[in-house]
Amino acid sequence: MKRIVVAGGGIAGTIVVNRIAQKLSEELNRGEAEIEVLTESEEHIYLPGQLLLSFGIEDPSSLVKKEKYLLDSRIKLHTGISGKMKKIDVANHEVITEDGKIHRYDNLIIATGVEYAWDEIKGYKEGSFTPFEMDSAMKLRERLADFSGGTVIINVSKLPHRCPVAPLEVTMLLEDIAKKRGIREKTKIIYTFPVGNPSGRVFGIDTTNKVISKMFEERGIEVISPFNVSSVDPDKKVIESSEGEKINYDLLISVPPNVGSRIIQDSEIGDRRRWVPTDKFTLNMKGHSDVYVIGDATDLPISKAGSTADFESYVIANNVANDIKGNLGRKSFDGSVLCYIATGMDTATYIRFNYNRPPVPPPPSYVHWWGKLMYNKMYWTVTAKAIV
Amino acid sequence: MAKIYKTLDLTGTSCAGPIGELLGVMDEIKEGEAVEAIVGDAETAKQVREWVKATGFKMIDDREKEGKYWFVIGR
Repeated sequence: MKRIVVAGGGIAGTIVVNRIAQKLSEELNRGEAEIEVLTESEEHIYLPGQLLLSFGIEDPSSLVKKEKYLLDSRIKLHTGISGKMKKIDVANHEVITEDGKIHRYDNLIIATGVEYAWDEIKGYKEGSFTPFEMDSAMKLRERLADFSGGTVIINVSKLPHRCPVAPLEVTMLLEDIAKKRGIREKTKIIYTFPVGNPSGRVFGIDTTNKVISKMFEERGIEVISPFNVSSVDPDKKVIESSEGEKINYDLLISVPPNVGSRIIQDSEIGDRRRWVPTDKFTLNMKGHSDVYVIGDATDLPISKAGSTADFESYVIANNVANDIKGNLGRKSFDGSVLCYIATGMDTATYIRFNYNRPPVPPPPSYVHWWGKLMYNKMYWTVTAKAIV
Repeated sequence: MAKIYKTLDLTGTSCAGPIGELLGVMDEIKEGEAVEAIVGDAETAKQVREWVKATGFKMIDDREKEGKYWFVIGR
């Protein structure tokens, strides 16, 4: 009996485990393989949808499903204390859960995602709204419904962070709303970003930065970069940077500092920001050929996005199946990512790239907006279930 | 000699960009430690040098080898 354990039941864990079940279908049916998913929560949130929720385009019920309904029926799901991990012990090839049970594995897939380190910046959580957390996204939706003008600051606190294009989208969606409501002249929009080389940078990839910077300029969006937020005063509504900037705001939309999961730190298998050292081609945890890392949990300089996890899942599922039954050959990850970028309430563009081919976003269009909405809608029925 | 805390392969495309990736790691290093960064093109190498200068970090090593640029950056 071969045992596969997937640590984490988010987007990455769910896609990869379903794909592995397909690859090992016969072995599962014959009882020669067993697949387990360990995750504390019974609920699965489609995180990228929270951006659209903030702008009233999605509602919470369409973004949350029970994990058990997404998994291949042959996969064993452990939730609650049975799924909450206490230690990932890669030396002994086992994961220990809070109920004391030891889950031994032949292959482990680490899909433990991201946590938000709000405490790293004083006043940041209290003084801002963020689409990155469901509760705050819903509050932002209410705030935007009543928005009648003022100074809005969109701040990226630290890099890297998950869904890297989201702050660009928030900025352009907001600008479009202000224009459509006739309050654009009463609305000052300021985008702040930690890296300012070249001056006025809004995004990390040069080719994309050039295109989006031009859009911001044409739409009268002010950019301050480098801007590394040092503190926020929620009462006075002031944001300060380590570069010495001090700006008053009426509405602050934040991207919280990202770190890996606490279990990575507790298991002493990550770096100081809890990212797991990962080989960029094999997706193995460095030094451990029986362990793979997927999605936001890796330390890869790429993109912490759902589509990255989806692309990675093909490689990992194939290689896990090859580890177990052989004859499939090994696949290598090419760094593929696809992200739609909303440029308004009915237009979008996208970036599709890999390690060696940087993206140039095409001109915004309704077709890409439709593509973005469809990509979101199809998540539950196609992507999560690894249908394609 | 500074101890290398982490080696960053910045030769590929990353949403945070090479400087963003570096920034995320440089915040974590302790006294006496450094980050090794590998960059694949001259334009990015120029950006790294400018950024190190502007932020006050210390360029401990700057070498070109087999078409790639190797940096060791410390505090």
